[in-house]
Amino acid sequence: MLEAFPAEPYRLLAEDGTLMAGASVTQSPAQLRELWQDMTVVREFDRKLITLLRQGRTTFYAQASGMEATQIGIARGIRAGHDWIWGYYRDHGIALGIGVPIEELVAQMLGANTDPNRGRQMPHHPGSRSRRFVSSSSSIANQVPPAAGMAMAQRYLGTDEVTICTFGDGATSEGDWHAGVNMAAVNDAPCLFICENNQWAISTAVHHQTRSESIHIKARAYGIPGYYVDGNDVLAVQQAVSTLTDQMRAGGGPVLLECLTYRVGSHSNADADAEKTYRSRDEVKSWTGRDPIVRLERFMASQGLEIGAEERAAEVTRIHSLIDSAVQKAEESGQPDWRIMFEDVYGDLPVHLRWQYDHLRAEQLAGQEGTR
Amino acid sequence: MTATQEPGVRQQPSSSAATGVTMTLIQAVTEAIRGELASDERVVVFGEDVGARGGVFLATAGLQAEFGSKRVFDTPLSEAAIVGAAVGMAVRGLRPIAEIQFADYIGPGFDQLASQAAKLRYRSGGQFTCPLVIRTPSGGGVKGGHHHSQSPEAYYCHTPGLKVVMPSTPYDAAGLLRAASRGDDPVMFFEPKRLYRAAKGEVPTEDYVVELGKAAIRQEGSDISLIGYGGVMPDVLKAAEALAGEGVSAEVIDLRSLVPWDRDTVLTSVAKTGRAVLVSESPRIGNFMGEVASVVQEEVFDSLLAPVIQVAGFDTPYPYVQDRIYLPGPTRIVRAAVKALTY
Repeated sequence: MLEAFPAEPYRLLAEDGTLMAGASVTQSPAQLRELWQDMTVVREFDRKLITLLRQGRTTFYAQASGMEATQIGIARGIRAGHDWIWGYYRDHGIALGIGVPIEELVAQMLGANTDPNRGRQMPHHPGSRSRRFVSSSSSIANQVPPAAGMAMAQRYLGTDEVTICTFGDGATSEGDWHAGVNMAAVNDAPCLFICENNQWAISTAVHHQTRSESIHIKARAYGIPGYYVDGNDVLAVQQAVSTLTDQMRAGGGPVLLECLTYRVGSHSNADADAEKTYRSRDEVKSWTGRDPIVRLERFMASQGLEIGAEERAAEVTRIHSLIDSAVQKAEESGQPDWRIMFEDVYGDLPVHLRWQYDHLRAEQLAGQEGTR
Repeated sequence: MTATQEPGVRQQPSSSAATGVTMTLIQAVTEAIRGELASDERVVVFGEDVGARGGVFLATAGLQAEFGSKRVFDTPLSEAAIVGAAVGMAVRGLRPIAEIQFADYIGPGFDQLASQAAKLRYRSGGQFTCPLVIRTPSGGGVKGGHHHSQSPEAYYCHTPGLKVVMPSTPYDAAGLLRAASRGDDPVMFFEPKRLYRAAKGEVPTEDYVVELGKAAIRQEGSDISLIGYGGVMPDVLKAAEALAGEGVSAEVIDLRSLVPWDRDTVLTSVAKTGRAVLVSESPRIGNFMGEVASVVQEEVFDSLLAPVIQVAGFDTPYPYVQDRIYLPGPTRIVRAAVKALTY
């Protein structure tokens, strides 16, 4: 049973995939298989995009390998397309889990013409209006006050939506984090603040980030409950998110949920030498051994739902094929035309931007090479 | 919406006297907010002390009693939370009008303005928008020292995606605020605090807006263009009066909004007079008038009879004791005009 401020993270599955004593699982076999597929998509998305990066076809990648259970648990615990998400830049797993098409995500990561965000941000900053996934920002924690405000608006409008606000452990050191959580708290706003505690903010370990014994304990300071789950247990994360969002739909105020997980890969391609510079191979190996996908597979096997090698290989092939097709479409669509650089700054084009646009257009028409 | 102010049209305070009421600039602000609250349930008003107290300058006085604490409410003392919450509310479909108690204190909310409010439409390819207004008292002349007197509007002008407005009359304060509230973009609405009660004028009782990006010609003239905005405008008009006493015909332009700003009215005026004095009270380096000067010399260089001259605040933190020396008063404006006229 989910309790606030527990000593140990809540889990349904032990690390070896066996059911915890007294725990029960409500997912059907088909739902368990979907969770496994979703997590596998996130894992393979990482693999394929890193390959694209190495081929020079994209410029940045921040992998979520090791965090699949947290992100898919969140995605499957909310009402996708109904609840709103203010995520952070590593949340492609959540985006995939709530149904943002692979083609949209790949288009964003390639700055392609088919990107609904129109190639405006560096790779790994998705956003999808139709799925209510707000385009992510690079600035750490600055999605937290807007999430509080959105939840206040939901309460004002009398909807049964909730806002999900995710962030890493490093974000909890920022002023915006405290301002936003406090704002939601005093306004009883239905915002689920979720820390995807992967234990490293680039190269800074969580114990250099805070003297608090945990992240969820910080909720005490704001007068809201703090929950703690094993972020490598997708069933526990899904159940916690579902339970907490139901509470909020019934009129409950904000809560803080800490998912304890681990980023197995580097922060991004910029620190691909993580094991040489800031963390030990033993630490990474230890967490690789707690693989969230393997944990679910073991549980499924215990329920007679074993994923065979052939089935796994077929699934991986299917996912790679989807991504390959998305990459092909994105690359074929080309990159957005220079003209759109001036659009979406404001609702309409103000006179000074019109002037700058006209100058650039004249240069382009005169056949000058670009603007450099 | 009626009686939209035409670009560059001479605006006389008495022109709307038939159906107008005399009020101060801050009363006009209050009336505009009241009207927006009454006509649009999406409008919510919040900030530090704006509720029962009605704001430290009383801009929202009485509104909580009239519209309830769901529509008008106090927030924690956190500019980041105020601005950030406004962003989230706007994305979800409300029309927040948030108050920051003094422009000098927006710092903790700057990232919310620059990284969220200003960028969300652009970075999402237009999927998400941020229609919000941040109102804040700004500028000097109230013996407030540097943390209660600065004119930081240039920081925001330098952030594409934000609109920046600063009225100098009650008529404009109400009309611009309504336009800001009804627009689809985030607007920084700076209110010159020394004019809150010093500026009085006729304000129509009917609904009207003043379109953002249109300057007002306060006085027509042929010898020199005096261009300003916000708190300096009464002093610019005094300078024009002094110059008239010397037989100089000055054209006085109030920019009213800085992003977007009314290039046509400014360039037409300077092309006509051949001389321009640009007046603002913010520190000179990097202030908004630097952009006006740049565009003037780039676009109407051949019409210029003298260099464009700036009268600005000094590049010091805003001082307490030397308050009146720091601000560009009529004497400095006249001196600059004479320099241009005798070049």
